[in-house]
Amino acid sequence: MSDLAGVGEAWQPVSPKYVWVDLVGRFIPGAIVVAALCIPAALSRLAWLWALPGAAFVIVVLVLAFTPRRVRAIGYRLREDDLVFRRGIMWHRVVAVPYGRMQLVDVSRGPVARALGLAELRFVTAAAATGVTIPGLPEEEAERLRDRLVALAESRRAAL
Amino acid sequence: MNAAARPRSSGADGEWHRLHPATPLLRGGIIGLAILGWAAVQLRDVWINAIVGDVVGRELPDDPASRFIASHLLWAIVAAIAIVAVFVGAGWLAWRMHEYRVTDELVEEREGILWRRHRRGRLDRVQGVNIERPLIARLVGAARLEVAMAGNDGNIRLSYLSSRTADELRRGILAAAAEVRRVPVAERPSTRFARSGTAERDEATRRPTLASRISTIAADLSAPELDVELATPTSLVEMHPGRLVAATALSLVRPLLLLVVIVVVIAALSRAWFAALIVIPAVIAVFGIGSRRILRSLRYSISETPDGIRVGYGLLSTANETLPASRIHAIQLDQPLLWRPFGWWSIRINRASRGGRDGAPGRPDTRILPVGTIEEARRVVALILPGWEEPAAFTISPPRARWLRWFSRRRNGFAIDGRVVALRRGALWRTLTLVPLARVQSVAIEDGPLTRALRLARVEVHTVEGVIRGHIGALDAADAVGLWRETEARALGAMS
Repeated sequence: MSDLAGVGEAWQPVSPKYVWVDLVGRFIPGAIVVAALCIPAALSRLAWLWALPGAAFVIVVLVLAFTPRRVRAIGYRLREDDLVFRRGIMWHRVVAVPYGRMQLVDVSRGPVARALGLAELRFVTAAAATGVTIPGLPEEEAERLRDRLVALAESRRAAL
Repeated sequence: MNAAARPRSSGADGEWHRLHPATPLLRGGIIGLAILGWAAVQLRDVWINAIVGDVVGRELPDDPASRFIASHLLWAIVAAIAIVAVFVGAGWLAWRMHEYRVTDELVEEREGILWRRHRRGRLDRVQGVNIERPLIARLVGAARLEVAMAGNDGNIRLSYLSSRTADELRRGILAAAAEVRRVPVAERPSTRFARSGTAERDEATRRPTLASRISTIAADLSAPELDVELATPTSLVEMHPGRLVAATALSLVRPLLLLVVIVVVIAALSRAWFAALIVIPAVIAVFGIGSRRILRSLRYSISETPDGIRVGYGLLSTANETLPASRIHAIQLDQPLLWRPFGWWSIRINRASRGGRDGAPGRPDTRILPVGTIEEARRVVALILPGWEEPAAFTISPPRARWLRWFSRRRNGFAIDGRVVALRRGALWRTLTLVPLARVQSVAIEDGPLTRALRLARVEVHTVEGVIRGHIGALDAADAVGLWRETEARALGAMS
């Protein structure tokens, strides 16, 4: 991946505390799936049916184990005229968005993130496929970034 | 008034006219006739018995209605005739009182016997004129004409007119509306159909204020192209109905085959052969889609106007739309496999959102060219991207991508110049996506475990929502990075 999109330059990482938000967010649905898969096995008393929750358990543990890596892979960079955002360790994705294309910036906080003082910043363009959501920003930084992005978008739009 | 001297016509001549004589029958009379017929059939025996029963010597059925009619025969006949006469008379009176006229400023309609209704619409607010021909009306040569006015619920519907009158009237209204737009009322020399009633209005509009001038110009710019007759001959593409039908049928072969295969597989697996019957409604639905698509695209025309690209559609209800080139965010040329022997292409576009109006009946949808030869497709692209030259060479996928692009590796590629990023895909179903760099919203580059092992990557150029997604996969990773960088850099350049 490192040859994709010039990753050699410095990426702005997200807060390491976001690992906990991500863990909780993935642990709960994972636990529900594993528990649901246990039901048929317990009811039918067929030993081989326990393989299903077993496999699901292993997958969930693996996903959770890679969380710190995944969070470290999230990064963004404010370039002169555009915002570049990357994420993913298996499936890489790097998106470049010109500031002038910004329609609005959303800052939102989930319950776990709020407890840790984190916020999530969503950069919305006219294309839904853009999908740039920077999670795990400390709240003040999210607000600062939002104001900065709005100002940048204003100045770039003026150049039109 | 020199009305008598004027030859009797039903066009836009400023006189009051009545509708088609069969109007009462068509508007509500059908129901009346049906009731009458039902009553006649139901009570036939009663009537026959009551009138001739004694002669034939048949027994009267012993129910109250029959006995009543038999004992008051004369009155019953009178009442029946009176009821019919009232219906006919009311219909005739309603027809007498329902009139319309088109002056050089207004379209007016008045109707009603007890409750008069008078509706008028200014010609400079006319958005378009639709003519509908329902089947029953068609049998007597009548048509329904609807004058679409700006604003909600301001439409004037004239049902019914004779077909010829409707066509004439449409032409007359559109021409008059176009003239009103071109020449403000006050600047025209004494109006052709000068009437006493319009004198004060002329006085009031003699000195147009600056505001009214500006609004006239604005209306002129934002108005749809009204002069259908003027615009049609310059259409860039001639749509032959035969080609349209053939192309639509061929493009539906694949979904139809797919459907049949799925149903057969399901039926074979489940051993329930009667399940195959569900294919019948599905096939009917596919035919419905096809015939709707053909009906929509008949009388297709595309031409260039100062305001943008004007696309006209529709056989029964015509729709015209003027589309500024700057509102087109992506262009895609498609060629299904079965179109290849004929060299046909279709063109679809992504446009800035229109609040759900796409796909409404009578509206041109995303298909800006339903089917055309490569030459016609080139002409349409040249209309949208004037002066743009087709790229001479595409950067295609490397040989190791053949595992992912079995047939299309040599076609799968991209080209980028100062204005447009062009993405070419598919060997069986060929597509070419063109995204103007000035309209690019963002660019993404992606890879996964498998593509990374092959040193391949995928690039997606994001545009506004629509039927087209500008993506290209299985590119050499270095090429993909180059495309990603170049697209972003040139999109930034194209913005400022």
